[in-house]
Amino acid sequence: MTNQLDSFFGAMADPTRRAVIERLASGPASVSELHAPHQMALPTFMRHLKVLEETGIVRSIKKGRVRTCHIEAAPLIEAQGWLAWQREIWEGRLDRLDTLAKNLEAFDD
Amino acid sequence: MTETTLQFTREISASAHNVWRSWTEPDLLKQWFAPKPVATTQSVIGPQLGGGFNTTMVIPDMPEPMSSDGCVLAADPSQRPAITNMMTGGFQLQDTSGEGQFPFTAEMTISAHDTGCTYTVTVRHLDAAGANHSAQWDSSTDGGPQPTRWPTWQERSANRAKIVRY
Repeated sequence: MTNQLDSFFGAMADPTRRAVIERLASGPASVSELHAPHQMALPTFMRHLKVLEETGIVRSIKKGRVRTCHIEAAPLIEAQGWLAWQREIWEGRLDRLDTLAKNLEAFDD
Repeated sequence: MTETTLQFTREISASAHNVWRSWTEPDLLKQWFAPKPVATTQSVIGPQLGGGFNTTMVIPDMPEPMSSDGCVLAADPSQRPAITNMMTGGFQLQDTSGEGQFPFTAEMTISAHDTGCTYTVTVRHLDAAGANHSAQWDSSTDGGPQPTRWPTWQERSANRAKIVRY
């Protein structure tokens, strides 16, 4: 699982791959659809897709001549969910600390 | 900065001194450290190098209060004060690999300026932390539908799921 998370974060460190994930979040898409907005050669783009497939975030199915990609939600939920939860906890602390410090300030006046 | 590091910055319209007091005076820490309905019932803080950073929290529906011990790594408010749960007071190492636990360090900067202070907290985690929680979460779903988000603290305590140590 640790290795899975490592490769997840590695995969998400690249802007092209993040853009692909963002696009796939709204539904499956063919490789040519995914490639269209990116200014890079198809083989280069395919290497990015391969990285995403290796981490298990993206799966693809070939039907005839069209390869369609879709997102595999589990690794995303696992990694983002935990961090998002930690973020929520610390943001709550920040809010409460802010309020308390301001109250103490009022006492000082 | 890695993807497992969280950083927060906030402009606080209070003096750096009062932010520091909120972290280091036990009676003040109790008021903000845990979210309601969880209550921090005890806190013992040694605001010096190697001091303890210990809290006890009472969580509704949990049979036992939860104690968490940490260590102060740096204690000068004008520098970068920091705590960790990888050690207890006196730099005694402790195991944080148990189920529902994860190691972290939290580092602060509190920069005073004319209208208050700029407060930054940087919380660093290991990737393994997420792994622990994932395993725990998976087992709690009992093959039910996949969750779309993590449960809130209240939900976790409501179903008596094991609470992580803070």
